[in-house]
Amino acid sequence: MQRAARARKYRLQGAGLDLALPYLMLAPGLTIVLGVLVYPLWDGLRASTRAYRYGSPVADVGFQNYVHLWSDGQFLNSLWVTVKFVALSVSFEAVLGFALALFCLREFQGIRLLRTVLIIPMVITPVVVAIVFRLIYASDAGMLTALSEAMGGGEAQILGNPLNAFIGLVVLDVWEWTPLMFLILLAGLQSLPHEPFEAARVDGAGAWRVFADLTFPMMRPVLAVAIVLRTIDAFGTFDQVFVLTRGGPGEATRLVSIYGYDTAFKFQQTGYAAALFVTIGLVVLALAFSAIRLLRRVDAS
Amino acid sequence: MSSVLFKSVVKNFGALNVLRSLDLAVPDHKFLALLGPSGCGKTTALRILAGLDMPTAGKVFIGERDVTRLQPRDRDIAMVFQSYALYPQMTVAENIGYPLWIRDTPEAERKAKIGEVAAILEIGHLLDRRPRQLSGGQRQRVALARAIVRDPAAFLMDEPLSNLDARLRLTMRGEIKRLCQRLSATTIYVTHDQVEALTMADLVAVMHGGELQQMAPPIDIYDRPANRFVATFVGNPPMNILPAALSEQGVRVGAKIVPLERTRLTACRLAEIVEIGLRPEDCSVAQLGEPGALPGEIYVVEPMGNETLVNVRLEGGNVSVRAGRDFRGAVGESIGFAFDPANACFFNAAGLTAVHRVNSNGREK
Repeated sequence: MQRAARARKYRLQGAGLDLALPYLMLAPGLTIVLGVLVYPLWDGLRASTRAYRYGSPVADVGFQNYVHLWSDGQFLNSLWVTVKFVALSVSFEAVLGFALALFCLREFQGIRLLRTVLIIPMVITPVVVAIVFRLIYASDAGMLTALSEAMGGGEAQILGNPLNAFIGLVVLDVWEWTPLMFLILLAGLQSLPHEPFEAARVDGAGAWRVFADLTFPMMRPVLAVAIVLRTIDAFGTFDQVFVLTRGGPGEATRLVSIYGYDTAFKFQQTGYAAALFVTIGLVVLALAFSAIRLLRRVDAS
Repeated sequence: MSSVLFKSVVKNFGALNVLRSLDLAVPDHKFLALLGPSGCGKTTALRILAGLDMPTAGKVFIGERDVTRLQPRDRDIAMVFQSYALYPQMTVAENIGYPLWIRDTPEAERKAKIGEVAAILEIGHLLDRRPRQLSGGQRQRVALARAIVRDPAAFLMDEPLSNLDARLRLTMRGEIKRLCQRLSATTIYVTHDQVEALTMADLVAVMHGGELQQMAPPIDIYDRPANRFVATFVGNPPMNILPAALSEQGVRVGAKIVPLERTRLTACRLAEIVEIGLRPEDCSVAQLGEPGALPGEIYVVEPMGNETLVNVRLEGGNVSVRAGRDFRGAVGESIGFAFDPANACFFNAAGLTAVHRVNSNGREK
């Protein structure tokens, strides 16, 4: 009788530990996620509904911050600059990356080295990239000025001229992030089946028709994923601009990230900045969702 | 349609010698099966003919034309791939019509032609679907339709049936044979399956180790194999090979002396015969001690329904015997092994066939 009771007790203990174990194992990870993701998100949302003075919340203002954004000329301008920047950079990166990936698909002497070299820009710290580009663009001692003077021209005005500064920023981004496109698209190309391409060659297609009829349609899903990824990432571009131009000259390169940073840390309008970033987050989320839906529809048709 | 000719074609992949001087002539309108074990170079030969691989040396002709250096699209051929190689994002109709579309065939003509071949292959109801919505057999038919939609100089098929399940393979085998006969097309068909090769082809070319072993009509490949490799590769179960020695009275196999006709015996002696080859259907099981029977032991018994395959362990090795469907015997039982020497092949030390099977019943040329 006593033995039976003890046996039942052990069994219950075992069952108790078995039930608790998964939660115990989950606990550390869950704590970290709650601490660094969920709480800051909630805190940010709360901050976006408050007004701040000297870094402390002074009043609940509801959605007023959000409403105010759409009549703020500086915000609308920074949004427009960001959209231009993202659209230009990502399209150049997609085209260049695709071309490079197609080129690197063939096998020849030294191809492995070339593939590796092409990926280097992506793994350099963005701030370092920006510093290097500032050295290239600098109007007094920069490489472009040296080049221009060697050819008999004057100083190259890159960062001082609104249009040139914007183009210079796009060039920097294209230089740094084309490798990511290249990498994703190369992996996509390498995973395509061989036989349809051989069949097309036998059926009579030349290089261009093979690309237009087979490669591009088969690569469309991968291309879409790469573009969505890069677009989301480009919306958050901050460090390169911060080092290169700080948003200037004027507002020529002031992306929403820079404007938000200025709002929060220069002008101490924490609530307004939070509302701004929540809005941008929603815009990017909407973009990503519609891109994925578009992708699904293409796939299903 | 055109004839196809390989002239001393060599292919090396680095140090690997895949084809060593292949000479092969396929007459116009003939169905040739390239048969061999994997790695024998048959697929490489086909890819060189298609222009997907370049030969290291040698020339390839389609008709009178030297196509060795031409791009695949300039060779006027159609090919069916093992994996079907359909274009995944195109519909079945677009797949079939692609070779025409790329050649700027007018739309009306293209549509008519697509309808025609779809009807031949009974896939008319699938034209709006995409490849991934099709079963393996249906994809196979689409790949065939895409090949026959034009009227090319030659059809190339690279193991087109090996991705299908056994039953479907049987059906498609018959269908492809009918289709090729109807089109009277020069066809090069690569396969590792001897049944496909023997049943479908007008001519079978057996390859091994990058070399052509023999090219002949199927029945000659079976009855008059050029060497030991062809003899044992073709036939299921394969030909039994036993060591043999020549004596005054005939050929000694184990303890038994097989009497042979004088002409055959002379031929054997001149060729220094060392082995005898026996098809399982020329062998039989016998009572132990029966005159002329070799003593053996039953190794495996495989009832096939219509017959029973008996594997018998002899002193010189194992042999397969086709026995009647009512054969009963237990594994390990002692049994006699008898054979009819009239249809035996004889091989010399180099593995070449010195004296053919079916030598004296009027099939001799």
